[in-house]
Amino acid sequence: MSQTDVSYGHLIPMRTSRKPRLSQGLYTVVGLAGGFILLVLIVFALFPEKIAPFDPSETVARPFLPPSGEHPLGTNDIGQDLFSELIWGARVSLLTGVLVGLVAVTIGSIVGLFAGYYDNIGSTFLMRVVDLTLALPFLPLVILIGAYLGPSFRNIIIILILVSWAAPARLIRSRVLETTSQPYVEAAIATGSSDNRTIVKHIWPAARIIALVQVVMVSAAAILAEASLSFLGLGDPSAKSWGTMLYFAQASGAFLGDAWKWWVVPTGIMISLTVLGLVLVGYALEQYMEPSLRRR
Amino acid sequence: MRSDSRQPGTGLVNRLLAYFVTLFLALTLNFFLPRAMPGDPMALVAGNSVRQMGAEHIAELRESLGLDRPIGEQYIRYLGQLIRGDLGQSYRYSGGLSVVKVLADRFLWTFMLVLVSLTIATIIGTLLGTWAAWRHGTWRDVGLLSGLFALRSIPAFWLAMILIPVFAVQWRLLPVGDSYSFPRPEGFRRVTDVAYHAILPITVLTLAYIPTPFAIMRSSMLGVVGADYIRTARAKGLSERAVLLNHAARNALLPLVTIVALDFGQLLGGVLIIETVFNYRGLGSMMFEAVKSRDYPLLQGGFLLFTFGVLTVNLLVDLLYTRLDPRVRRGNE
Repeated sequence: MSQTDVSYGHLIPMRTSRKPRLSQGLYTVVGLAGGFILLVLIVFALFPEKIAPFDPSETVARPFLPPSGEHPLGTNDIGQDLFSELIWGARVSLLTGVLVGLVAVTIGSIVGLFAGYYDNIGSTFLMRVVDLTLALPFLPLVILIGAYLGPSFRNIIIILILVSWAAPARLIRSRVLETTSQPYVEAAIATGSSDNRTIVKHIWPAARIIALVQVVMVSAAAILAEASLSFLGLGDPSAKSWGTMLYFAQASGAFLGDAWKWWVVPTGIMISLTVLGLVLVGYALEQYMEPSLRRR
Repeated sequence: MRSDSRQPGTGLVNRLLAYFVTLFLALTLNFFLPRAMPGDPMALVAGNSVRQMGAEHIAELRESLGLDRPIGEQYIRYLGQLIRGDLGQSYRYSGGLSVVKVLADRFLWTFMLVLVSLTIATIIGTLLGTWAAWRHGTWRDVGLLSGLFALRSIPAFWLAMILIPVFAVQWRLLPVGDSYSFPRPEGFRRVTDVAYHAILPITVLTLAYIPTPFAIMRSSMLGVVGADYIRTARAKGLSERAVLLNHAARNALLPLVTIVALDFGQLLGGVLIIETVFNYRGLGSMMFEAVKSRDYPLLQGGFLLFTFGVLTVNLLVDLLYTRLDPRVRRGNE
């Protein structure tokens, strides 16, 4: 699956003659739905010890128990409570998303602003690096680096940042290029506005909505990628992450019996809901805050 | 907006030049990556077995691998080996099987999976996207769009993990995994056996791929429906169907070719994990096994092959696009 590219830029048409028959309120509904999902997950991530009935790293019962009143989703291969693991998993996922999203888009914004505003050897070089990063196949590269760095949560974050900054950089650069040739920016430069002032006062305000949407979209992609990497065994095996849960489910043959129903299914639903929540919020933000994209 | 610096068809020479430069940079990255990592590059280049060796043996191996040489000399040597098609030896096989041989064994399986699922997904995605755009703004369009948003949020490997217990374990309709049964049947049965084992992986990959062509086709169609020639076609009194198929869809197809190809690198990522879930004998499960056994030459070889494949597909599609669309035949950079 196109795991990295959760940017929905190409969903937005160039122009259309037919007026959408649904009101603009739809985007609000979509955004609120996404926001609600995220809110629940943030509560899980902030206060897992209040919600989860057990410590997920403790063996609290016999292994491979089916769901019961005490263990709503049964237990895993070493007798840990699966429901508690699921709640705690939100923390790793959201933390991955937030860290990778913020850092990668910050790097991408700086590169995009620089490469779009200035036209010199430095900016050409930067765009070559962007092209190279985007041209390399994402997962094989991530697996290669992950294998060298060794399995750990910190390494996954570093790897994901290394491969996630380029797409936002390119998007922001093209917005900067558009903006720089606008009459009001040319006028500002002509009246003696310094480069720094022009960038801060005129260019960045036009580009920051793209950066904001990209933070959300990159986070979504990072969460999917973290799950994939942990599933491949490149994550920290002791971390309570949804990808790691699926890794152990696969490793202990959970789908040969019935255990997949309460082990694999809820875990995947949590990952999908998290990603979906972010994507919905990102999509709504894009439609809502970018006037030029309205009615599309 | 998506591909400003990768504008299709900016002159054959420029495209070829960019292709070779990127390929060369990727080869260089592949060389420096293990050497830039923390720790002894020896352990990375020669595998973890180093830890069990004596100091003397290590020095000997270091010399035979050329790791005691200056980095520039190592680099030249590496490029020379690549030109000769030598990717080193895999550690996993004690006989010292060459990486090239392992890759050749695995390549066709992955190629088949990707080709079949990408073709099916492109056809289905294109049709659905065309239909959704034609019904733009209705509840059907929104329903389809949300369905595909949801599909895109689902990890493909998880889809595989729930289809296997249902179809393979409980209903016993399809095999749990692997590319063929053992012992392999003879003659025509051999072909049906391979097809039978490929059904589930192809289904999962197809589902994973559909959202991309769908999204592109939908937005591309929406860009086309407002165009003057569509209004003209309608004004001529053509049926909606004729307008849709002969005028709108035909013109909306072009961007699809490019973007699917540009996304090819990302699409390949999916197959990597899917193969692992199914124990399918392609490049994906090979990479996974190589990670587990820290078989670095094999990992590097796999990475190079993936990179080479993605870059080459991108180049070919760029060139093809130039032929397809007369407007970009002249360079515009």
